[in-house]
Amino acid sequence: VEETVQKLSAIEAKRRMVLQALVCLPALALFDRHKMQVAEPAGEELVEIGGWILRKSELA
Amino acid sequence: MIFDSFEGFRTSGFKPRLIIIGSGPSGITVARKLGRAGIPVAIFEAGTAEYTEDSQAFYGGKALGDPYFDLDVTRLRYFGGSSNHWAGWCRVMDAEDFEPKAWVPDTGWPIRRTDIEPFLDEVHDILDLVPFRDDEPISDDIRWVQLIKSPAVRFSEKFGSEIAASKTIALVLDTYVTELQGDGTRITGAKVWSAGRDQGIATAECYVPCTGGLENSRLLLWSNERSNGGVVPHAEALGKYWMEHPQFEGGNAIMNNPDQFEMDAVSEAFFSPSRKAMERRRIMNFGIRFIKMPYHGAKWLVAELACLAPETAEWVSSELEGKLRCAAQLYVGWEQAPRADNRIVLSTSQRDNLGIPRIELHWSKSELEHRTLLEGVRLFGETLAAKNYGRVRIADWILNGDPYPTNQELAGNHHMGGTRMGEDLTRSVVDRNQKVHGMANLYVGGSSVFTTSGQCNPTTTIVALSARLGDHLVRVFGGTAMVK
Repeated sequence: VEETVQKLSAIEAKRRMVLQALVCLPALALFDRHKMQVAEPAGEELVEIGGWILRKSELA
Repeated sequence: MIFDSFEGFRTSGFKPRLIIIGSGPSGITVARKLGRAGIPVAIFEAGTAEYTEDSQAFYGGKALGDPYFDLDVTRLRYFGGSSNHWAGWCRVMDAEDFEPKAWVPDTGWPIRRTDIEPFLDEVHDILDLVPFRDDEPISDDIRWVQLIKSPAVRFSEKFGSEIAASKTIALVLDTYVTELQGDGTRITGAKVWSAGRDQGIATAECYVPCTGGLENSRLLLWSNERSNGGVVPHAEALGKYWMEHPQFEGGNAIMNNPDQFEMDAVSEAFFSPSRKAMERRRIMNFGIRFIKMPYHGAKWLVAELACLAPETAEWVSSELEGKLRCAAQLYVGWEQAPRADNRIVLSTSQRDNLGIPRIELHWSKSELEHRTLLEGVRLFGETLAAKNYGRVRIADWILNGDPYPTNQELAGNHHMGGTRMGEDLTRSVVDRNQKVHGMANLYVGGSSVFTTSGQCNPTTTIVALSARLGDHLVRVFGGTAMVK
């Protein structure tokens, strides 16, 4: 019985993990815009905000 | 030949021309060069063939200043020395590391990297290394460099049978050289304790302490005190300019493409500055260890969130009953500036079981160290943003100038300096051939001769310098030098 309970707990934990990750997706979208897939021309001014080193255009 | 104690060695009638003190990577490398050239050499090892707490207790000491490791834990006192616990990270110091930095006092070696390069093939054989690839600049400021995680050669295991079968190398275990005796121009003998008793004086034509980056200074300081300056006649720098590689978590990163940089077997990549960047920011060399956490799928998403929204990620992570960290961690290890006040002195209150003063290590990090850490992460972050490889966040404690955390790595267990190489008699102890200034027959092997520390793990450079020293000694003693 104990083994079965453990298996069910593991399944439940995985299910919750997926659900919680899905909850995170909107938050991830907030910073996904920073992850530009196409390289931009070099030379853009960099700024430091809260320890993050960013391109100035990312502050808009 | 291997002897369990000095008594067996004495009975054998073996007459060494050189006595090497210490059987770690440096001592064994020097001895093998001499032995292969047909020059009889003895290695006196204070410990036995295996770790014992009794032997290790001789290494106890006190560290003052910044938090540091226990001195009887940060090194090992038995056959093979600290090669018995090193992690195996390998890289030769950069050519720039040997050059003076005009913006940092007391930098610049009397030799250049080209002086040790002829020995690198031997080093690769000794440390079981594959060839290094060239550094790859990813911007004007940052180089993508390579550290090789080698099999972490245990010198006792790899070379034990070779030494046992050798007719020209005598390894003498349980033989503690408590003191060298000298007259101000040459060493006249080594006072030996073995098998629980005083064994008198051992003599040879030449003496080479290779006892490590802490113990070399201790042995020479004590010997010099006992000989009234007869062992290191120019002792102003003795024990001084001691250096470590401070290591702390410097921040984290998110990457556009997590596979942007080819990772090694343990998901790490390494980055260092160009000389121009060091000069412009007036900092020392550094190495950023970029660690990609081994997360996949949903865990990777949450880990990336941890970079941007740590509190939210912590909540999510706790809901998952796990503990996730930012997907890419940045650890920084850096070159410490050589400073005379970072030093080893003999304790006035603590002695080992034979009455030899223990080490008192005075060690602290300066404002330059903090600047190197901060500007190092900043340079890396600027490169990642400019090239659009990713974004870096500098850790709060660094930006705020808070005290260094005490729950991190602290340093590399890399003990360097104390008998540094140089031409100025007031700022160095050994010359370009690792011979003690003013002494005809006393040389020093190991990282205590480092003039500056560079940013990389020291073992590869220690072995290269030791191969060069062995080659030099072969020439001095009339054998055939064996540069491979």
